[in-house]
Parts: sequence; structure tokens; C-alpha cells
Amino acid sequence: MNQTVKSTDRPEATLGDASGLSRVCVVGAGVMGASIAAHVANAGVPVLLLDRAVGDDRSSLAKGAIAKMLKTEPAPFMDPSAAKLIQPGNVEDDIEAVASCDWIVEAIIERVDLKQDLYRKLEAVRKPGAPISSNTSTIPLKDLTEGLPESFKRDFLITHFFNPPRYMRLLEIVGGEATNPDHIQKLGDFCDRQLGKTVVKAKDTPGFIANRIGTFWMLVAVRAAIEMGVSVEQVDAIIGRPFGIPKTGVFGLIDLVGVDLMPHINASMKATLPAGDRYISKADDLPLIAKMIADGYTGRKGKGGFYRINREGGGKTKESINLKTGEYARSERFSLPPSAKTAADLLTSPDKFGAYARVVMGETLAYAASLVPEISDDIAGVDAAMTLGFNWKVGPFALIDQIGPAKFAALLKQLDIPVPALVEAVGSGKFYEERDGVTQAFGVDGAYHPVEKPEGVLLLSDIRKKGKAVLSNKSASLWDIGDGVACFEITTKMNTFDDGVLGLLEKSIDHVKTNFKAMVLYTDASNFSAGANLGLALFAVNMAAWGEIQKLIDKGQSTLKALKYAPFPVVAAPAGLALGGGCEIILHCDAIQAHAELYTGLVECGVGLIPGWGGCGEMLLRNQADPKTPRGPMPAPRGAFEMIAVARVSKSAAEARRMHILRKADGVTMNRDRVLADAKARALSLVDGYVAPEKPEFRVAGAAGRTAFDMAVAGMASQGVATPYDITVAGELANILTGGEHDTTEIVTEEQMLELERKGFMSLLHNTGTLDRIEHMLETGKPLRN
Amino acid sequence: MNSVVIAGYVRSPFHLARKGDLTRTRPDDLAAQVVQGLLERTGVTPADIEDLILGCAFPEGEQGINLGRIVGLIADLPISVGGVTVNRFCGSSMQSVHNAAGAISLGAGDAFICAGVESMTRVPMGGYNPMPNPALYKRRPGVYMDMGITAENVAKKYEISREQQEAFALRSQQKAREAIEAGRLSDEIVPILTPNGAVSKDGCPRPDTTAEGLAGLKLAFDQKGTVTAGTSSPLTDGASAVLVCSEKYADEKGLKKMARIRSIAVSGCEPEIMGIGPVQATRKALARAGISVEDLGVVELNEAFASQSLACIRDLGLKEDIINIDGGAIALGHPLGATGARIVGKAAQLLQRENARYALATQCIGGGQGIATIMERI
Repeated sequence: MNQTVKSTDRPEATLGDASGLSRVCVVGAGVMGASIAAHVANAGVPVLLLDRAVGDDRSSLAKGAIAKMLKTEPAPFMDPSAAKLIQPGNVEDDIEAVASCDWIVEAIIERVDLKQDLYRKLEAVRKPGAPISSNTSTIPLKDLTEGLPESFKRDFLITHFFNPPRYMRLLEIVGGEATNPDHIQKLGDFCDRQLGKTVVKAKDTPGFIANRIGTFWMLVAVRAAIEMGVSVEQVDAIIGRPFGIPKTGVFGLIDLVGVDLMPHINASMKATLPAGDRYISKADDLPLIAKMIADGYTGRKGKGGFYRINREGGGKTKESINLKTGEYARSERFSLPPSAKTAADLLTSPDKFGAYARVVMGETLAYAASLVPEISDDIAGVDAAMTLGFNWKVGPFALIDQIGPAKFAALLKQLDIPVPALVEAVGSGKFYEERDGVTQAFGVDGAYHPVEKPEGVLLLSDIRKKGKAVLSNKSASLWDIGDGVACFEITTKMNTFDDGVLGLLEKSIDHVKTNFKAMVLYTDASNFSAGANLGLALFAVNMAAWGEIQKLIDKGQSTLKALKYAPFPVVAAPAGLALGGGCEIILHCDAIQAHAELYTGLVECGVGLIPGWGGCGEMLLRNQADPKTPRGPMPAPRGAFEMIAVARVSKSAAEARRMHILRKADGVTMNRDRVLADAKARALSLVDGYVAPEKPEFRVAGAAGRTAFDMAVAGMASQGVATPYDITVAGELANILTGGEHDTTEIVTEEQMLELERKGFMSLLHNTGTLDRIEHMLETGKPLRN
Repeated sequence: MNSVVIAGYVRSPFHLARKGDLTRTRPDDLAAQVVQGLLERTGVTPADIEDLILGCAFPEGEQGINLGRIVGLIADLPISVGGVTVNRFCGSSMQSVHNAAGAISLGAGDAFICAGVESMTRVPMGGYNPMPNPALYKRRPGVYMDMGITAENVAKKYEISREQQEAFALRSQQKAREAIEAGRLSDEIVPILTPNGAVSKDGCPRPDTTAEGLAGLKLAFDQKGTVTAGTSSPLTDGASAVLVCSEKYADEKGLKKMARIRSIAVSGCEPEIMGIGPVQATRKALARAGISVEDLGVVELNEAFASQSLACIRDLGLKEDIINIDGGAIALGHPLGATGARIVGKAAQLLQRENARYALATQCIGGGQGIATIMERI
């Protein structure tokens, strides 16, 4: 690569384009830099990835980082082809190429001198007006820009991604006094829409929002545990689920991010925080942590951390460290007493665990409250940072609301912790209030202000605040989301399908026909649907309620086909898991508007079944319809067979498209909070001149095709890839996909295809091999390989 | 009967299917470049060619529509030259030679291009539309059996251990490495123009293969078996061609005569152990040539798998030091339709180089067959 662009003919940066950026440069191919580059590539934007020039192949650092990411799990890339959008290079030979980039992200080592050297190099070549942002997590913006020209300061800001950038939704954006506010707005918009981030504006203070509060919380928790004699397992049970904090708690989280990071963060915080900040009083190095690091216990990336896996004697024993002695012993399961499972119970509990919870959460929440307006003017921004940066269910201010701000103030007095001004100010009120269906947040001015949402962000929770569902039962609801569009929402556990879901869906189709223009299938929950309720299915089989099961299959088939042939457009908007029946339902929609993180597939074979609600036929049609599928009777059923027989699940919407679940015209939304609005827009775009699809005709491969599949499966069995019962299940699947008894000269109708599915499903359900699989899945959550 | 000679041999570089440098090249374009290379190197008058006989094991997709004719037109052969596609699976392009030899003997033409091609990248093994006969599959499942399983069957029946197979595979890699390093393969290779530039070197050999490396590989076909990817020929993209003509024509035109064809044979065997196909075919060919195994100075025995190669060597009583002197298919690759012409051409070339009198080229064929050609140095 040798692009030479003279400074005089450098074009202006094109950040203003609505579509985003034409090319982005990331400097620093370490874990963060490389995976930021990968995520920009996930958005379809070309990236120039630069690192230092070393070795014979002077771009080997950047190249190596890309190669490594292709093997990393969880994958930084949504599709391996995204890697081709990253052009590797080095800062010596390829610096001129920076001139072609509309945004430059710096993610090199945390040293001001090295960063400033790089900034000067970039300043000489970058496109005029192209924003440069640092991914620093510790260095204040004012230190980074000190002594640099005004033109640089105007275009400089901090964009702080969280690791791993593809999966962590938080982005803190920080501007300096001189930063052009346009950059903050436009880059923020790009990161929101194209990269799918929730952008939180933070002030230029150490650790910004999430790390300032989060690391303080971890620090207080570790110190208090040592001082109060609370064990590692106890801490993670107390400071975990009861407060809506992931079950990794405190110690599990430190192991994950690296024990060795703690002293670095402490030192950097101590050096940069104002004197008198409560953080500093807690930031003295702990001898235990120093010893752990010296012994190589740096966390999961090392030999282990506060937890370790002992493999002595060939076994696998989970052990945890004794915070007093530093010795490891087998981890003890610790459960809180039933009387202390909620935050409120814990905080009033008279025992040691209650006392510990009071100290840690009292300190943490008070610290968070004391930092507004120092780190942010906006309590909702602080809460968003903690929910998205640390995966807390709710942020500190919402937690204080749960406790009750007045009660919380009393608790702080009892603990001898100064009551923050904001907590005093809110008094007997709450930090959040609902007014006319709009959430209002308490401001530093003592007044309530609506929590602002960027345009195009729509959640069912917002709709719910404004009124009642149009239709609803215990399993599902139908909502009016405006402009003539209805939204069908499943509300069961893991959004599994039961009779109630199908019943309401049937009613909803009738209702939408006369009262709405279009329908969207969507849920705010993390997962669209985990499929059929296996527990119910097994129960029915054990009762030998074959008639009931047959009815459920029939009802699923007829309801999904009613959805497909409804006289109005239906758009599925899946995010997270969409498995089994959850996948079949999206296959029956006119269009799919998926979240980029879509984990979908027809997984029935894993429990010894086949898709029985039309999924086999729909996958056959999708494979047939792809012009890239080779001609002849076999390639289409083979595409469907290879995916269904191994219960393949996509690891992204991009992969779902490769699997033919998403079609060419189906859309992908990067930002989880924009999925519903995008799906609604897609549905409305289909309304004019909408005609329901025509009934398909299946061209099948017949007995010869079935033999070919049987042969392939027999080969896999001898390779040890397929199990004996796989042969039975795959045989049933092959029978359906090749048209059963129908000859290759015959046209098979959709009804006949459904009949094949129904028969195949019922035949497998009568087989003990299938029942063993279902039972095993219900008991262990893992597939049985019988 | 007219005497038949081999008067030229070329091939493309062989590359791993789906990974190598020929994945983007259509098989018809690949074969056409090899045919042009043969014409240039032999100096044969194109208008004298009677027919282009092209071997291909899965003649569908880009390999369909009578590939023999298509390739002749892409290669700009005179319009009068015929084109036919021949399929005997792995034995396809050796069959091309046999067809030409029969025609020449009968006086039905003087010069033939006998070529073979397979893009195992662009047309998968088994084809896009495998539609086996259900009744035959029930009665004789071996007909459609995975080749790897037949290799396991042979290993079991002939008690050939994994270690023996690996020692054989290692020798194949070492012989190929020596041949490449000594430049002994470069003359036969026609550089191929691909969408990504010219390709002139083989891509299949793994010169760094070690016994330890082979011993560490996972079993490829049967988890209780002995055959690994290291002791099997790889899926390969490649093409090859030989010029087959009457001895009289070669003399008149001053073509370089490499070897005279003495006899040919095919023979069926049980499909489940198709790898021993060369045994009966070779015995028949030897008898027809009136010579014995001891008379052979050069043997090209296609290495579909190490297990079947060793079984054939043992059954026929072949001397190991004259077999696959420049390496075999385990190292060089096995583009199904192209292998037959390669080993016929290679055996003819080696007769000259090794100054031997008789050469055997033989190979096994899926579905249970063997094919063999005996040549004599001129």
C-alpha cells in the first residue's frame, strides 16, 4: 500500500453524510484497537488499521491482530468477510493513507508522550476537519491535547469503548473545551446508528463515568471483604443477583478483567483525582493483590485469580482464595437465606452479610450520587453507563430509588458516610418519576426533566407506559405502536411458545386485519424466543396426550400459515435468541428486520425432533429462491438439511443471512434500541399495494435424494460425527425435505409438505431416543448425544 | 495394427481444492491452457489432431455440456478437431489414452490429445445433485461408498497399520520434495493464468511433513480406523494432457517419441475394496504385453490412499524403489479426471530418464475397478 496524497489536495472530511463515514482509521492494533476496527468493519465501513512498523513484514502487528481475531471467541467479527474490510498497515510506511479517512481512532498504549508524538504525525496528514478520538480510559483529554495546535484541539475528543467493543453497548464520548460540538453530535450519531452503541456524554474527569464508579465499587467491595471477613463466594452472592448485578459479582468480574489491572487503575486514579476524593482513601495497594500478581494469579488470562480451576489429578475443581491467608480451597456454594434475597432485605438484615451489603452498596451509591454534576449533569446518563458498561440491571440512581432516597440518606448517616447533595436535594421524592407516560429524571437544578431518547429509539416499555395493550393474555400481548402498526409481543419465560401465545397470535391476526395496516413481531426482552416449551411437551408425552400434541402441531402450523397469508404485511424484529419455533415464526413473515446480534436456527434435531410448524418447507423455499443455489433437485434440500440436521445456530444476523434465514431484502439494525422503530418503518414501507404471497410449489428430489442424505449421514456416523440416533432423526428430516413418497417429477403442495412435517414430528415423538434427548435437555441444558 | 506412442506430456500445477491458487479458475479454462501448452511444447500440427478426448469424473456444472468440445474451442483448436468427454472416475484420462490407442490401432486417426481435468473446488466430489439408485444402494451400498471407507476396508483386510501407511506417505512427500528441489517437475508444468496472476508451482506438497506430524493427525473417516488426511490424497484442482499418436505419424513429423504403448487393461473388483483394483488390471496388462512384474523398471501407481497403494504393492510383488519416483498423489494431489494422463505421461517420461525398458501406470477407481497401461521405452 503506497498512497501518496499531498496535503494541498486533501479533500474535506465527509462526516456530515447521513450514511456515515467512508473510511475510518484505527491506530493501535492491540486488543481494543483491533476489535474496534473489527466492529467498524462489522458496520460495513472500510478501516485502515495501523500499528508500529516491526520486523520484515513491517505491517505484521496489524496483520497478526486481524488473523488472531478470526480465531477469537467470542468473535469480534460478525462475519469473517468483514475482516477483508480492514486494511493493515504501519504508521511509518502508510501514514499518508490516513488522509483518506473521515475519523481517526487512537488506541495505543496509555502514555501521554507516545500519544502526543502520534497526534503530531496524524496532524500533518489527516484530512482537514477529520475528527481524531482517543480510546483512553485513564488520561484526561486536557493532558492529551496540551501543547497541540488549536486546529487539533478543535477536532479532538475521546470515544471510550468497552471491551469487547462488538458486544458491550456503552460508548462514553468526551469533548474538551475546544472540541467542535458538531463532532460530538455526528460521531455520536455514527456510533449509535452504525456501531449500535448507546452513547453517553461524559465530562473530562478520570475514569469518566462507568469506570469511575465501577472500579470504586470493586475496590470498596474487596477492602470491605478483607476487613469484615466475608469470603469470595459470599461477596459474589451478596453483591450480585440481589442488586441486579451479574452473577460474576465482584471477584468473578475482577478475574475476568485482570487482577493486575487493579494497581494500575488505582495509581492512575490517585494521580489524577482531586485531593479529598473518597476514591483516594480506598486506593492504597493491597498486599494480597500484590502477592497474587507476583505469583501469576492475574485472573482468567493467567493461572486463575480469586477463583481458579485446579486440574491436579486429572479432575476439575473450582477453588477460591482465602482473603486472609491467600491459600486456595475448594469453592463452597453459598446461598443467601430466603429472607435476604432482595436488595431491600439485605440492606436491613442484621447479620454480617447485611452489614457488608450496607457498607459496599452504601459507599458505592453515595459515591455515584456525589459525582453528579462532576462527571455528568445527567443521572440517566450515569445509570445508562452502569447498566451498559457493567451489565447492572439498573443504575445507581434507580437502585437508590428502589431503596427510597430518604431511607438511603438515613442509612448513610448510620454508616457515617456523608450524604451527597443530590440525595439531600431529592429529599422524600425519587430520582425518577413517570409523568404522562414519560420518564422524568431529577436534575442538578432540582427540577425534573424528561429523559431524552435519540430519534428512532423505540421500546415497548415506552409504549406500555402510555396505555393498555390492545389484546392480551397471560402469554402474549398486542400493542398499538402508532401509525397503524400493531406489535405482537410474547411475554412467557424465555418467550417460549405455548397454547396462549398461539391463541393470541390467531386473535391478533384477525384484529389487525380490520384495525391496523401492518404488524410487527417484537419483544424488548433479551431474547426473541427460545422456541417451544419443552417441559410442557414432555409432560404431554408422559401423559400420552398424543391428541393434545397433535393439536398443538396443527395449531402452530395453521397459525403460522395464517400469519404468512394475512392480508397485511408482517415484519419480524428478532434480537438475541430465536430458536426452533422462534425461528419458524420469523420464517413466515414478509420481512425480517433483525438486530445484528441474532442467534437463530432450527434446533429441533438437538432434542430429537424436526421443525414441525412449517420450518422445513420454508427453509427449502428460501434455499430454492437463492439464485446462487446450484441447479438441480439436490442443492436446495441440501442447504436446508445441513443447517437443520446439525441444529446450527447463527452467531450473528450476518451468519443468519448466510444460512438463508435472512433473505437479501431483510434488514439488520445495529442498535438494539432501534430495532422496533426500524421494523415499524419496514412494515409501513410494505403497506402500499401489499399482496399476500402466493402458495409455493415444492420441487423435490424424491427417493434418490433421500438415499443421498442417508449415505451422507452414514458416512458421518462412521466418522464419529453423527450418533446412532442422529441417523434416525436425520432420516426423518431427509424424508421431509425430499418430499417423502413423492417422485421427483411431482409438484408437492404446501399442505403436503406440512403433512410430512406433522407425520415426521409425531413419529419421532413416539421414539424413546427423542424422549431421552428432551429429558436430558431439560435436566442439564445440554443436548444428549445418543 | 498400428503402433501407438506417447509423444508429449504436460500438466498444470496441482493445487489444493478450496484453499489453493486455482480455486478461482474454471476447469474448462484450466484444461484449455494445458492443451495449448501441449501443442506448443510438442510442436504437433493442430489440424492433424483427430480428437480431444477429455477425462473428467464429475462432468456437470462448469465441467458439463461435453467439456471435451468446450475445451477444444476455448483452446482455439481447429474447428475440424473433435471433442469428447470420458468418465471412468479416477481412471478417466487414462481411459482417454486407451480410447486413442484403440482408434490409432484401428487406423481411425493419427494424433489425439488425451487430457483430463478436475476442479474439486468448483464441482464438488459427488456432484451437486447426487441421486443414487435407492434399490441398488440397499443391495450393494458399496457402490456409492465414501472412498475413505474403502481405504479403511483395504487397510483392515490387508492388515496395513497406521504406521505403515504413514511411512509410505512420508516417503511420497520426501520424493516429491526431492523432485521439486532438483527441478525435475518444472518441465512438465504449464503455468496457468488465473484471475490472481500466473501460477507455475505445485501447491499440494507438504515438504515439512514429519513422522511425528503424521502420527498426530486425527482419523479422517472412521474413528476406529487408521486412515488420516495425511495418508490420503488431497482434494485437488488440476489438469493434464498427453499427445498420443501413431508411431508412423510421429516419425514423419519428427515428434519426440517418449514410449510405446504395449498393452492396456481394465478390471472390476468389489466396490468396498476398490483400492485393490490395480492388481487384476495390472495382471491382465502384463499378460497381454507378455512380460512379468520383474521386467518393470518404472511404476506409477496412483496413491489414492497409502493403504490401497501398499496392498497393491504387496499383492503384485512390486519393487518399492521403482514406484512413484518423483512422488505420488498423496504429495502431489489427485484431481480425479486429470490423474490418469499425468501418470501415463510421467511413466513415459521416467522410462527415458531412468533408462528403463518397461513402465506400468495403474490406478484404482471408485465403484470397484482398476485400470493399467504398460509402456516400453523407445
